[in-house]
Amino acid sequence: MPAGFPRGREERSFAEKAGRDARAPRDTMKKPAKVINVRERAEGESSFAKDIFAPLAGMRLTMNRMVDNLTGKVNATIRYPEERRAYSDRFRGAHILTAREDGSPRCVACYMCATACPADCIYIEPAEHPDPLIEKYPARFDIDMLRCVFCGFCVDACPEEAIIMSRETEICAYTREETMWDIKRLMSRPELPEFGLGYRPNENLVDSTVKFTPKHKEKRKLAGRVTLKEDVEMIPHVTFDPTKD
Amino acid sequence: MPKFTLNGQEIEAKAGQTIIQAAEDHGVEIPHYCYHPDLPIDGNCRMCLVDVEKMPKLTPACTTLVNEGMVVRSENERVKQAVRGVLEFLLINHPVDCPVCDQAGECRLQDYYMVYGLHTSEISLGMKVRKRKVIDLGPMVVLDQERCVLCSRCIRFFDHVTETGEMQFFGRGDHVAIGTFQDRPLDNPYSGNVVDICPVGALTSRDFRFKCRVWFLHATDSICGGCSTGCAVRIDHRDGAIFRMIPRRNPEVNRSWLCDEGRLSFHELNKTERISRPLMKGRDGVQAPVTWEEAVRSIDARLKEIRAANGAGSILGFASPSATNEGLFLFKRYVGDQLGATQFDFRVDSEDKNVLEEEDQILRHFDKHPNSIGAIKLGLMSKELGGIDGAIEAARAGQIKAGVVIYFPPLVRRPCDEEVEGRVFELIDVLEYSVVLAAHKSEWQTAASVVLPVTPWSEEEGTYTNFEGRVQFAGKAIDAGGDALAVWEAFAMLLHASGAESPWMSAEDVFATLTEHVPAYREVTLDKTRLPGVIVG
Repeated sequence: MPAGFPRGREERSFAEKAGRDARAPRDTMKKPAKVINVRERAEGESSFAKDIFAPLAGMRLTMNRMVDNLTGKVNATIRYPEERRAYSDRFRGAHILTAREDGSPRCVACYMCATACPADCIYIEPAEHPDPLIEKYPARFDIDMLRCVFCGFCVDACPEEAIIMSRETEICAYTREETMWDIKRLMSRPELPEFGLGYRPNENLVDSTVKFTPKHKEKRKLAGRVTLKEDVEMIPHVTFDPTKD
Repeated sequence: MPKFTLNGQEIEAKAGQTIIQAAEDHGVEIPHYCYHPDLPIDGNCRMCLVDVEKMPKLTPACTTLVNEGMVVRSENERVKQAVRGVLEFLLINHPVDCPVCDQAGECRLQDYYMVYGLHTSEISLGMKVRKRKVIDLGPMVVLDQERCVLCSRCIRFFDHVTETGEMQFFGRGDHVAIGTFQDRPLDNPYSGNVVDICPVGALTSRDFRFKCRVWFLHATDSICGGCSTGCAVRIDHRDGAIFRMIPRRNPEVNRSWLCDEGRLSFHELNKTERISRPLMKGRDGVQAPVTWEEAVRSIDARLKEIRAANGAGSILGFASPSATNEGLFLFKRYVGDQLGATQFDFRVDSEDKNVLEEEDQILRHFDKHPNSIGAIKLGLMSKELGGIDGAIEAARAGQIKAGVVIYFPPLVRRPCDEEVEGRVFELIDVLEYSVVLAAHKSEWQTAASVVLPVTPWSEEEGTYTNFEGRVQFAGKAIDAGGDALAVWEAFAMLLHASGAESPWMSAEDVFATLTEHVPAYREVTLDKTRLPGVIVG
């Protein structure tokens, strides 16, 4: 664009939008002219009385908060598992492999997630898909949930929106084998209505019209679970059997 | 030798070179699709356009001969815009197949787009011209017509290299598609090369399809172990498994080509089980696993006993023309110099006659061993014996009592191979005491007194001497499993057990000693054996 052409809202810098010249220093940054002897100033400002009574102001704050805690006015603890914290919309919990309309996985085994994964916990075995327009699908897709660091790089890397994350955090098992999730486990998610969808690339993939973003103080008082009805309807409970493709 | 200026740098080109060739020689990469150093020049892709001073339009570097005093610019704004324009046109109808396309990571569309393009596409997916996908063109090649950028490299390959003319353009304009007539399969023995020269994922390898993403693979420069031509290859491997072989360009041996048999030859290594530990026949006649030290001491002692009882002429050294020069050199040193044997051979099937006989005019030879000439030059062919049949007769007659046999079955199988192995079985059976060095398990080894596991092709570095006497270095791609050692290591241990000097720590050391002692290899250093190799006397 030629210089001087009026630029749109997105292209002006923050300082320009704020209406000031960012290069001029603000008044608060100007230092006073005289030299201050910091020891003398400190000695002049303190006194014995101040030394006794100043901590009392701090103590008053502490006592107030203690009384609040004792009386139950302020309560940081929630009664888990009956009450749960509400996680944000983009929370990175357990992974989900999304499905096409016919129930087969959207994944085309391109290995972007396996390459991006910093923990090397994704193992994929590709296979030839009979439809030449799809061409490739994962015969095996294993995630080692114990090695996974839940960084979400796999979701970032996926070009097909095939892998997303939910807000499910309760991944426990009695044996190590149960923590190696295969494609069936990753696709069928009966816990989804309880926890809801989390980190996913495109909001339009799951059309949740109600966005639940609890305010800061409400988070602590929240009881009960977060259930989004829209989430339940959009991701069907599919079980994918690669042998029956 | 015309001198010209390329991007401000004065360059001297060879007579008759085009700009792109001269630039390549001096390390300047000019983007191109249709140009290939071993195919006739076409000039249809328009990617190599460069700015030559005093020429009104940009000119393709692949068709323009270098003239004295030319001033060529390949990196100015005009050229970059032209390249970006060509890329835009190519990407209009190119399918968004990168997640499923095998070429991802080594695709020249991807690479040039990241350097020159980075434009946003103004074509939506629904507007793109659709063509046919996943067409089988024979057992080696899969065609995807949508991905083709119409560079015609494959057409020129089949027209000029194999002279079979199997591929051609069909249709006009937007709908031009590459293919064979009526989708007939490509049934010539060089069809795999077309996968290498295709710059995009239109022609992909059926053998390598979906096996591994290319950025996970490590590459090792090596020489094909399939026949005595000794084509330069690059072995792509990961985690101890070989995934594919790609030809390297050696203008003096194989240009840029590799035959299909050689391309698939690495599969042979995984077809049978490997010997994991040295086996020695005990008093009860049953082979039991032992350590290398025990085996080596026992072998040396026993062979010396036999020599003392029957003379050095009773020991046979039967080498393999598939072993490296290093392995064969130390084999000769131990069996010949140390033990004093005079009977040597390596011919299981008339390799000495076949080694020069060409199977076809392009690359292949009938001798399916990479190092027959190497064995001959190291003195491993006694005229008196006349191959394995002669050895068997001499053993039956009682003239030969013991033998040290190295045997690697050929990587390119032929129908006569079973019969050939049968002869090896006979030889081992007839010998009173036999030491066998092999990589893969086979029934004929049960008759041997000692079996030592050694590494075959690709598991140890070494040099091979091809049919014309060219020594070429082959790198080590994967690790040997189990207790297997390289052939040279096995004989270094035997020499040590025998009391001789054994100072070598690597194949390179052995090669250095080889060049000192074998007259034909004098003055050859390991560096000279890298591409394109050096012909020895």
